[in-house]
Amino acid sequence: MAVATLPHSGAHEEVDQLYKETRDLRLQGFLLFLISDCVLFSSFIFAYFYMRNSGQGWPPPGIHRLDVAFAAVNSVILFGSGATMHYALENWKHGNFNRYAMFMIATIVLGLGFLGGQAYEYTNLIVKEHVTWAGSGIFGASFFTLTGMHGFHVSVGVIYLFILLLQSVHGVYTKEKYFGLTAGTLYWHFVDVIWVALFSIFYLV
Amino acid sequence: MVENRASAVRLGRGFWSVTLLFAVLSVLAIVFWYWTPIGIVMPVVAAQPGIQIDDLFRFMAASGSALYIFVVGYIIYFAVAFRARKGEPYDSIGVQVHDNHKLEFWWTLIPTLFVVLLSILSVRIWYGIQIAQPANGLVVEGLGHQWYYTFRYPGINGEVTGEMHLPLGQPVVLNVTSSDVIHSFWVPDIRLKADMVPGLVNTIRFTPTRLGKYPIICTEFCGTRHGWMNATIPGANGQPNPGAQFVVIDTPANFQKWYHAWQIKNAHASNALPTASTGTVSLAGGDANAGKALFAQKCSACHAIGPFSQRIVGPGLKGVLHDPSHPNLVDGDPATPADVAKILQQGYKGDIGMMPNATANGLSNKDIANLVAYLKTLK
Amino acid sequence: MSTAAVSHGGGIADHIHPEPQGFIRRYVFSIDHKIIGIQYLITGFVFLVLAGLLAEVIRTQLLHANGGFVSADTYNEVYSVHGSAMVWLVIIPLITGGFGNVIMPLQIGARDVAFPWLNMLSFWIFPVAGLMLFSSFLMGAPVAGWTEYPPMSLQAGAGTSMWAAAIFLVGVSSTLTGINFVVTMFQMRAPGMTFTRMPLFCWAQLATAPLLMIATTALAAALAALFMERQFGVPFYDPTKGGSPIMWQHMFWFYSHPAVYIMILPAFGMISEIIPTFARKPIFGYKMIAFSSMAIALAGFMVWAHHMFTSGLAPYLQLPFMILTFTIAIPTGVKIFSWVATLWGGKIHFTTSMMFAVGFLALFTLGGITGIFLAAVPFDLHVHGTYFVVAHFHYVLVGGSLMGIFAGMYFYFPKMSGRLMSEKIGKWHFWLFFIGFNGTFLPQHWLGMLGMPRRVPTYDPQFTFWNQFSSISSYVMTFAILLFFINILVSLRNGKKAGPNPWGARTLEWQIPSPPHYYNFKHIPTVYGLPYDFSQPLPYKGLEEELTDTPVAVGAH
Ligand code: HEA
Ligand code: HEA
Ligand code: HEC
Ligand code: CUA
Ligand SMILES: [Cu+2]
Repeated sequence: MAVATLPHSGAHEEVDQLYKETRDLRLQGFLLFLISDCVLFSSFIFAYFYMRNSGQGWPPPGIHRLDVAFAAVNSVILFGSGATMHYALENWKHGNFNRYAMFMIATIVLGLGFLGGQAYEYTNLIVKEHVTWAGSGIFGASFFTLTGMHGFHVSVGVIYLFILLLQSVHGVYTKEKYFGLTAGTLYWHFVDVIWVALFSIFYLV
Repeated sequence: MVENRASAVRLGRGFWSVTLLFAVLSVLAIVFWYWTPIGIVMPVVAAQPGIQIDDLFRFMAASGSALYIFVVGYIIYFAVAFRARKGEPYDSIGVQVHDNHKLEFWWTLIPTLFVVLLSILSVRIWYGIQIAQPANGLVVEGLGHQWYYTFRYPGINGEVTGEMHLPLGQPVVLNVTSSDVIHSFWVPDIRLKADMVPGLVNTIRFTPTRLGKYPIICTEFCGTRHGWMNATIPGANGQPNPGAQFVVIDTPANFQKWYHAWQIKNAHASNALPTASTGTVSLAGGDANAGKALFAQKCSACHAIGPFSQRIVGPGLKGVLHDPSHPNLVDGDPATPADVAKILQQGYKGDIGMMPNATANGLSNKDIANLVAYLKTLK
Repeated sequence: MSTAAVSHGGGIADHIHPEPQGFIRRYVFSIDHKIIGIQYLITGFVFLVLAGLLAEVIRTQLLHANGGFVSADTYNEVYSVHGSAMVWLVIIPLITGGFGNVIMPLQIGARDVAFPWLNMLSFWIFPVAGLMLFSSFLMGAPVAGWTEYPPMSLQAGAGTSMWAAAIFLVGVSSTLTGINFVVTMFQMRAPGMTFTRMPLFCWAQLATAPLLMIATTALAAALAALFMERQFGVPFYDPTKGGSPIMWQHMFWFYSHPAVYIMILPAFGMISEIIPTFARKPIFGYKMIAFSSMAIALAGFMVWAHHMFTSGLAPYLQLPFMILTFTIAIPTGVKIFSWVATLWGGKIHFTTSMMFAVGFLALFTLGGITGIFLAAVPFDLHVHGTYFVVAHFHYVLVGGSLMGIFAGMYFYFPKMSGRLMSEKIGKWHFWLFFIGFNGTFLPQHWLGMLGMPRRVPTYDPQFTFWNQFSSISSYVMTFAILLFFINILVSLRNGKKAGPNPWGARTLEWQIPSPPHYYNFKHIPTVYGLPYDFSQPLPYKGLEEELTDTPVAVGAH
């Protein structure tokens, strides 16, 4: 992994033109995919508010408010990983492979940290407070469904980033051609943004 | 190919004569929809505001037919007048017009104006149906079951099964809900319907205007015998259909007779409403704060937090458990937490109206405990 | 890349792969948009026969007031699967995946869609989902209609979960198709093919794609929740556990109202191609037609609760939904009037395709007008849940979408197969279908208003006459559709050779051989104007070699 600079693609102009257009295509496709994914989350968020407002007050009787402090720390971890991801891509663009790899690993570790935090929070809720997915009414249903979906996205993201890292080690991307990394970054930021929404609706309001 | 300009074809005699023809046909259609007895397409209306609904229908049918005559008329006319004649070479072309802003302006504007007019008409009628509150309405509750209806009247114990009677001329407020899945309450002769949704109370208001016996029909799919929750369906083998239930609009005197008969018949019937949660509710651990939130969601539509006499639908609940001037609850039991819990669990129908039961209100035993804890705090 | 294949633009639009060899790669797991489109069409028509036969079970049951053909429970399963299959396995796949795939890339001068592999995936999800839906009959198919309102759908048999999973999958397929189409139309138009020169069928697909992407995802969420509630007891809709049955209705209709425009807008698009071609005239009001598609798609997102006027919507919420629904008549009217005006002054050739297109105008307009009736809350309180609604939506769906599909088939069949369909059988098909259709569904308007609810296996004996009239007419309609399939089979073998452009149409797809080559265009053409000016020379450059034997350089990279 001690490659200090990125390989330059030796291809001639025509191919570059082709790459550019393919990248634009994929970028648009990927953005549209993220939009429809966002609608999926929004629909469940709609459901959450709908139930919350037609229900029995929030949190429903017998359920404690969620622990904001812990989740806040966990959020900071996730947002931190957004920052490291950003720097990873920047460094790639500038050809600093080593720093890129470092930031990439940091992102993966932080992502895993967030997942660990979430696992801890889940265990706490289920074991100590007896709040479960199916057994705690609409609270359990909306909380576990939405955060679970998000957690699933983070897990997929961690795996994806890991694959990207391996690919870049194997020279799949060059300084000019790194669409996979752009997509990974976009996805990771998307997951962050969704978390901002989830954190606010479950812990803050 | 020949250049074929718009000026080459004018709107000639043919065009204007068919236009005149369509106008005449439209007028005939309008006359038809305004003069025809409504009975050919809908049962004759038996309650207010059905007449307005019929008027709205006549208006829409008349204008819709007129519009349709023009659209289809021109289609047919153009299809005939501009068909390619036999032997015409395929590459001869039509008039090369691309658009005509004046025309497009008018055919956007006229439908827009029509939409505005229709909106005004509909909103006015909608107001009379959905918003206006009749004075001294008879409050009746309809409950959907798989696969029959029951009704509750103020002053009749228990539930009325079979026919539902209403007095001619008195406004009715019908609150409907369900004990299982979604049903719907529709009387075609009254023109109104409301879905019976578990956990939700829907209301329709009308004033019977014509004596008679009218079928009630369920229009939301509710399971195997949904098709038989319909008074027009005969039973098998000449037997009566158990799901056939009617609304009977009676003279006030006959209504009173029927009403008394049910009062006597049901004198000893329990006013408890059938409920899914039976057994006594444990009030231990009730949380007044949770109860307060729940009350705002589920109860405040019918109950004010004011004195007993301050009614929305049910009585004011301030001090139910502390009010010396009101030592007994509406069901005659003493005002104790356990008895309040019983009312919440089983519902109660007395002189004031219908208090829905836990199923209809969507209350768990824990909710009841929380609500009672909250009601205790209202001094 | 050999320079022979490079024309203007170059890059991805001109990227040529060698044609794959072998039956499987060419026709089964094909990545060619034309083959995929035809796969959609074939699969969709198979499901049309199945769902149509279910419709005939419905009509046969209703021959007699007390039914007796099938049991009540079976009847409920039959119309639920009929409705679901017609919407999700017939009309939507035929009209987006089918015609969209075959025609749209050709019309914009592209070699394929943006993501061919994704396209193949979208297609293959669809038959799998279809089989799942029909297999639910084995385990107690869904009974609560295609709308599956809880709590009824929570009570029903195991097939309901299967239904939810199947619809979820077709939803994924639609969403991917939507993404694919949008990117294709944004990125892969031929040089000079600006949006204001794009054929109207493409505009219609462009208006439909966001509906596919956004609305369908909302349905996916609703279905996932239903599935979780049924399988794992997670409370979303069950009122006794704090959930809300009304919430399902909001989420379902937030999808399903836009879905009705998914089913009609592409048909509008085909009508906009067929009418000018056979009237030998430019389409009247090109811009307004394109714009109104967009307006309808947008407004379609804001009217969903007009299906819920009796459900217990807060009364004041009914108003905006009612009025917004009325306003959809305005852009739709603009389209109808523009098509009628296109007929004016034409030299109209009544091919079968044109007859279906003109029939479409007449029938869709009637269905649209009854839609306006339904949108008026006071009248809807009377007819909601009755056969009036059934009549409305079959006029727009069968008289609209399905007629559009027939028109499109007669029109594009030569492009797909190289042969013309038989006009003689076609005319029989049209007239029998037209008569059978009106006979089936026109009486249902007054049946509903007089008091016949929908979703019932039995009815008031006084309605026997009109029900029998309807049922017998529906047999005529079935026969007509049978003729259609016969026509396809006969014409595939014996149809007259079509040549590249049998209709003298002017959009790009007609300037190349029928069926087109694997790579569509030898050279990507350049576009100079609108495709509808019959008096002008064709507005394309670079097509000179399309109909010659000049070989194209393939497989350069
Ligand atoms: C999307 C489009 C669509 C289409 C095309 C149709 C087509 C038809 N529909 Fe359907 N229908 C719906 C969508 C559609 N429907 C929906 C959404 C519902 C609501 C369901 C619900 O309540 O939830 C419904 C409900 C519905 C009902 C109401 C049921 C009820 O409420 O109880 C009825 C009753 O008449 C009906 C009839 C028909 C008929 C006669 C046709 C005919 O046009 C069908 C004609 C087609 C064929 C008959 C196929 C051709 C077959 C052959 C050629 C076979 C011969 C060949 C071989 C054997 C090889 N439909
Ligand atoms: C292709 C499918 C399709 C299309 C295009 C439409 C189009 C429309 N629909 Fe329809 N609809 C359905 C499919 C469709 N619908 C289905 C499947 C259901 C039932 C679902 C179920 O319950 O199972 C349904 C149900 C349905 C309801 C609910 C009824 C109920 O359950 O109580 C309503 C209510 O508003 C409605 C309204 C409309 C309106 C206003 C339009 C408008 O878009 C129509 C606009 C067109 C015109 C108006 C005609 C042309 C215009 C002119 C010539 C201009 C001048 C006209 C005027 C000014 C009026 N539809
Ligand atoms: C649909 C309207 C409605 C709703 C909703 C409703 N109630 Fe009632 N309630 C009534 C009516 C009507 C009565 C009086 C019944 C009678 O005596 O005829 C009543 C009676 C009562 C009484 C007895 C009052 C007394 O002074 O004896 C109590 C307590 C009560 N309701 C509590 C509640 C609570 C708590 C809720 C919320 C979960 C609730 N109600 C929801 C209509 C309603
Ligand atoms: Cu009760 Cu349908
Ligand atoms: Cu709709």
